[in-house]
Amino acid sequence: MAGIVQDITDRKRAEEAVRRLADDLRRQAAELERRVAERTAELSEARDRAEGADRLKSAFLATMSHELRTPLNSIIGFTGVLLQGLAGPLNDEQRKQLGMVRASGQHLLELINDVLDISKIEAGQLELAQARFDPAAAARRAADTVAAQAAEKGLEIECETEHGLPELVGDRRRVEQVLINLLANAVKFTDQGRVGLDVRATPEGVAFVVSDTGIGIPAEAHDQLFQPFRQLDSGLARAHEGTGLGLAICKRLVDRMGGTIGFESAPGVGSTFRVDLPLTPPSLTETP
Amino acid sequence: MTRVLLVEDNAQNRYLITFLLNASKFSVLSAEDGAEGLALAASGDFDLVLLDIQLPGMDGYEVARALRQNARLDGIPIVAVTSYAMTGDRERVLAAGCEGYIEKPIDPETFVAQVRAFLPEKGGA
Repeated sequence: MAGIVQDITDRKRAEEAVRRLADDLRRQAAELERRVAERTAELSEARDRAEGADRLKSAFLATMSHELRTPLNSIIGFTGVLLQGLAGPLNDEQRKQLGMVRASGQHLLELINDVLDISKIEAGQLELAQARFDPAAAARRAADTVAAQAAEKGLEIECETEHGLPELVGDRRRVEQVLINLLANAVKFTDQGRVGLDVRATPEGVAFVVSDTGIGIPAEAHDQLFQPFRQLDSGLARAHEGTGLGLAICKRLVDRMGGTIGFESAPGVGSTFRVDLPLTPPSLTETP
Repeated sequence: MTRVLLVEDNAQNRYLITFLLNASKFSVLSAEDGAEGLALAASGDFDLVLLDIQLPGMDGYEVARALRQNARLDGIPIVAVTSYAMTGDRERVLAAGCEGYIEKPIDPETFVAQVRAFLPEKGGA
């Protein structure tokens, strides 16, 4: 008899323990849910704040770049007037110093344009034109733009375009911007040899290949090459003036055009950058 | 002599553009804002209008549309002077009735040639 009572008591105790455990679990589950809800609310608030900050940042940069450009208009403009002798003759020293003012003004303008471009791209506000253009002519214009820089270093840009390349539909200016960036880099990092730009048709569209016989890119820099501001902390900045934004902008522009950009490089031998763009010729039905 | 109407709110830009054009024997009448520009356009004869887009009050697009209502300016090119940053606004510039645009910051060495390119051929300025 005592054994049965003991059994019942044990069972009651066990049941009691199970109930308490179940209660505990329920409480913990409720607590967990409450915490998840709380965290979710915090995260969405943080996301809203981040998105708001992003919009603010873009608006700020757009306004700032306009505000910065307006005085630059005057600096570059009046320096040009003086250098042309339109306001009277200059002596050699004055000409030299004004030349420095103009070069600095133009460099500042490039910086502003680059910063604005990257912030526009990152904010998803970059609009691409869709108009027909001649990829061979775009390549030649890009080569012409960099020709003076190349000539200063005794280099020539060898531009080879496949015969009979079709017109394509895309953003000519942005394609040229990518090519100018790649060519300017090639010239910047090449002291002797050659800089080349090849344009050829591919099954998907068009490929642009920029090659040089420059110093090449050290292996440890490969991973971060397309990250913004890389040049600034790479130690190259002192020897090679630049914003460090060029390749980051190229990569993002090419991404936006649905294309790919890649490179091969051997230190001391040279680098080759290849841009593939899936651009198609205008359809036959489209009116020119 | 080629007569240019310049609408530009920034005093230094006004001076710069006027100076460059005068140096090439253009005559320039300038306005600080759209309203003044429209008033000048209504009372004078011009061969070309140079129009800043980012103007206080009435913006350049509105000014261009209003200028296009003025019969005196029939066939007279309106050229926007606008910042490179405003890509995508190019179409708006053309849609507002401009013949084209010149980018800011202007290049003092090519500016006058850029302006001339918008003038109908008539054997020099």
